[in-house]
Amino acid sequence: MHALFDLAALGIGPATLLMFGLMVVLLLTGMPLAFVTLLVALVFALGFFGPMSITVITSRIYTFVNSFVFVSVPMFVLMAAMLDRSGVARDLFDALKLIGGRIRGGVAVQTIFVSVILAAMSGIIGGEIVLLGLIALPQMLRQGYDRNLAIGVVCAGGSLGAMIPPSIVLIMYGLTANVSIGDLFTASFLPGLLLASLYVGYVLIRSYFSEGVAPPPTKEKIPAAEKLRLLKGLILPLLVVTFVLGSIYAGIASVTEASAVGVAGVALSAMVRGEFSWRFLRDSAMQTLSTCGMIVWIGIGATALVGVYNLMGGINFVAGLITGVSDNPIVIVLLMMAILFVLGAFLDWVGIALLTMPIFVPIVKSLGLDPIWFGVLFCMNMQMSFLSPPFGPAAFYLKSVAPPEISLGDIFRALLPFIGLQAFALAMMLCFPQIAVY
Amino acid sequence: MSRPQTPEAQHELAAELPTHETRETPIPEAGLLGRWIDRLGHLFAVGIVAAALFLLMEVFLRYALNAPTIWAHETATFLCGLAFLYGGLFCVSRDRHIRVVMLYDALPARGRKALDLFISLASMIASGFFAYAAWLMLTKAVWSPAGDLRLERSGSAWNPPLPAYLKIFLFVLMLVMCAQFAVILARQLRKPGKDS
Amino acid sequence: QEYSFRFQSSDPAGNPNFIFQQGWTETVTEMTGGKVSIELLPVGSIVDYKETPDAIAAGIIDGHITDTSYFAGRDPAFGLIANPVGAWSDPAQMIDFVENGGGKELMNELINPYGLEFIGVSTPGLEAFVSKVPLEGVADLQGVKVRSPEGLIANVFAAAGANPVNLPASEVYTSLDKGVIDAADYSVFSVNQDTGMNEIAKHPVYPGFHSLPLVEVSMNKAKWDALPAEIQDQLKASVKAFQQTQVTTLKERDLEAVGKAEAEGITIHNWSDEERAKFRAIAQEQWAGVAEGSPMAQKVYDTLTAYLKDKGLLQ
Ligand code: NA
Ligand code: NA
Repeated sequence: MHALFDLAALGIGPATLLMFGLMVVLLLTGMPLAFVTLLVALVFALGFFGPMSITVITSRIYTFVNSFVFVSVPMFVLMAAMLDRSGVARDLFDALKLIGGRIRGGVAVQTIFVSVILAAMSGIIGGEIVLLGLIALPQMLRQGYDRNLAIGVVCAGGSLGAMIPPSIVLIMYGLTANVSIGDLFTASFLPGLLLASLYVGYVLIRSYFSEGVAPPPTKEKIPAAEKLRLLKGLILPLLVVTFVLGSIYAGIASVTEASAVGVAGVALSAMVRGEFSWRFLRDSAMQTLSTCGMIVWIGIGATALVGVYNLMGGINFVAGLITGVSDNPIVIVLLMMAILFVLGAFLDWVGIALLTMPIFVPIVKSLGLDPIWFGVLFCMNMQMSFLSPPFGPAAFYLKSVAPPEISLGDIFRALLPFIGLQAFALAMMLCFPQIAVY
Repeated sequence: MSRPQTPEAQHELAAELPTHETRETPIPEAGLLGRWIDRLGHLFAVGIVAAALFLLMEVFLRYALNAPTIWAHETATFLCGLAFLYGGLFCVSRDRHIRVVMLYDALPARGRKALDLFISLASMIASGFFAYAAWLMLTKAVWSPAGDLRLERSGSAWNPPLPAYLKIFLFVLMLVMCAQFAVILARQLRKPGKDS
Repeated sequence: QEYSFRFQSSDPAGNPNFIFQQGWTETVTEMTGGKVSIELLPVGSIVDYKETPDAIAAGIIDGHITDTSYFAGRDPAFGLIANPVGAWSDPAQMIDFVENGGGKELMNELINPYGLEFIGVSTPGLEAFVSKVPLEGVADLQGVKVRSPEGLIANVFAAAGANPVNLPASEVYTSLDKGVIDAADYSVFSVNQDTGMNEIAKHPVYPGFHSLPLVEVSMNKAKWDALPAEIQDQLKASVKAFQQTQVTTLKERDLEAVGKAEAEGITIHNWSDEERAKFRAIAQEQWAGVAEGSPMAQKVYDTLTAYLKDKGLLQ
């Protein structure tokens, strides 16, 4: 193959820097994100290998959209679009306010609970963030929550899906490292809850100690009849959750199929409430098409870039970064964490997994460290990569459904404290492996 | 968007209320092509709903009747795959793709126009290259090495030619996307000092 | 002159098969006296495992080590030669068919037009069958929901009375754990044991009765043709060495894992020869159906059945 212009002469190290630099510059021009990564992939494919290598990009696009596990994304988005058009979400949050309204930040805390439940329903992140972004974000803003706190709760909560089983991140790690997926699920559960409780703690502290972060607790007495009417708002959402979780845990449906059960549950709820119509369905489906177009094409760009980077020798480059640095296992693990964090800023998790796992897992095993523990650390890092700028998928997913006045900059700023909390949880996991492997 | 407070009123209005999605239309620069892309979107949206129904049917047949099908999962994956790809084109016509506009918004109209032209041109060229690569892929999925027409199949027990269909669709989609960027570029060139 | 090639595997990085394949790349360097170096990439690094032939033909990667049945969608012959369900009860039989029974000629006839050259064969061995329900024979398969990947295998399970469910590898664990499916065609015993499959499905059938995959090592034909004959021979010999290591070591590991599994209270089922023969008979009826799919598939069928009859493995 002959390159059009010889980028290969640069060597992989400088080429990596150039690649990330070009990504940032193109991002700043206002070019749509999906096309930024696609264009960078194209430039480097042409520059390193010539026109024939562009088929790597189209081949990866084909594989990406032709994947069964991704079917759950449009299902979650369709659920969200229907909930957005029905009164279910509003009634749910009014009922939640009745229960949690007596403490400051109560509804935000409940949103984190909801996101833990959603995490138990799905294996990949994306759908839940869209769902929370369409449902919980406007409701929290309506009730007077601080915008940054509400955004952070939605993105960080929505990313819990990777830590709380089932999780495709952990399954992919298990298959790569050849370790028990069941053990990984067991090990990640507590750290997942730890993360959720850190979020809860943060929300409560902010609500109580900062003015105007959360609406003041409700003081007035609500008549019993009104309470009963409000609590009715819980019934339909609880039924839908029971259907979906029930179908997964009773072995009726696979995780991906269960997302379609959720769609049916929400559609039925809308019918019960008399809100369902053809137009309701059509509008919801059209919104799903548009939202999926946005979020899937971000993934398309990311997968294209990773294929080209691997072809350029990315794996060798990452391997070169850690070989011979130190004999101290702690230093090596910390270095791995640092590499995962930096890569997490620019690539999506599948790409990071493809690049680093072949290198990291054998090293971890040869150092005598527990690969299950490392799997949980890896997963924690991926949680951070969902949120970290400039390439933070969770922020992009939220942006795809957030009110237009909320910019990406606003979202990333709101996420910083939550990234800090994730880093804290990661540090805890490093210091106290017992949290995962007891 | 402000919504009525009482649940009753909300019920009444839920059907009437034009949601932000139905109000949304292709950007003027997308031209006639953009309007067609928008209209055709309904077909792919129906595909998503159909995928949900097939999955539900599969769950029912397998769990209740112990009679799983060999086609439901592959069909659902295919329909969603089509919708994913088309959704990207759909968002181009509506200018709904996510972008970082910090610097863009700070620029004067002339600077923004220059960036618009650059973005459309670069995206058009990139889509053109991808259409070419998708064509290379298509030839392998549609013709056997000996040159006879032979659609690539999935190799499953059902063995449908869906892989070939999806690869053909990817080629057509990249071509149309290239054309859509060309239309947008042409209109941006004609429209002096546009305010975004 | 020195040569460096880049191969993509169909296995993930930490999988034992991948580690054997990495061992092969070292053998290649040794056997060729450092003239050939091969970089092996794990599954999905450059392109998906189903798309490697196109990437090799285009010169993007140079070769692959992969289960041939992944290409059954291009020509049913790939599915039939890679996994004629029920044909083999030992890796040695399949390897002999490929090396001495006309298999490698068929492989080249199949993949040469795609721009690939077949170098040699290996296999992880006879797969173990993952099951939550006790299975002692074909009759027990009735109504069992079994995950089966692409290829002939699903048709055979259906003909045997089971209900094949099409699921990707990433959904097998949770679906089996929760009982969406009762059984799965997955991997060899030791790998199933490592990934925790036997822990959630405590009635594995070992040795399996269903699958013994043909793993091909092949590369870009033009690049192969450009190699000196001496290096070509060294490469072929290196694959033979890799095959021997993989087959014997995995068998040892399987036996070791069987011991571990039994200690954990997992019940291992072994089918009687009669039951295995019954399943094979059902499978053979399906071969004929696949053979009708393409002229190459018919040719594979004819060569295969002739070989089996010649060896007394088929009446
Ligand atoms: Na999850
Ligand atoms: Na990131």
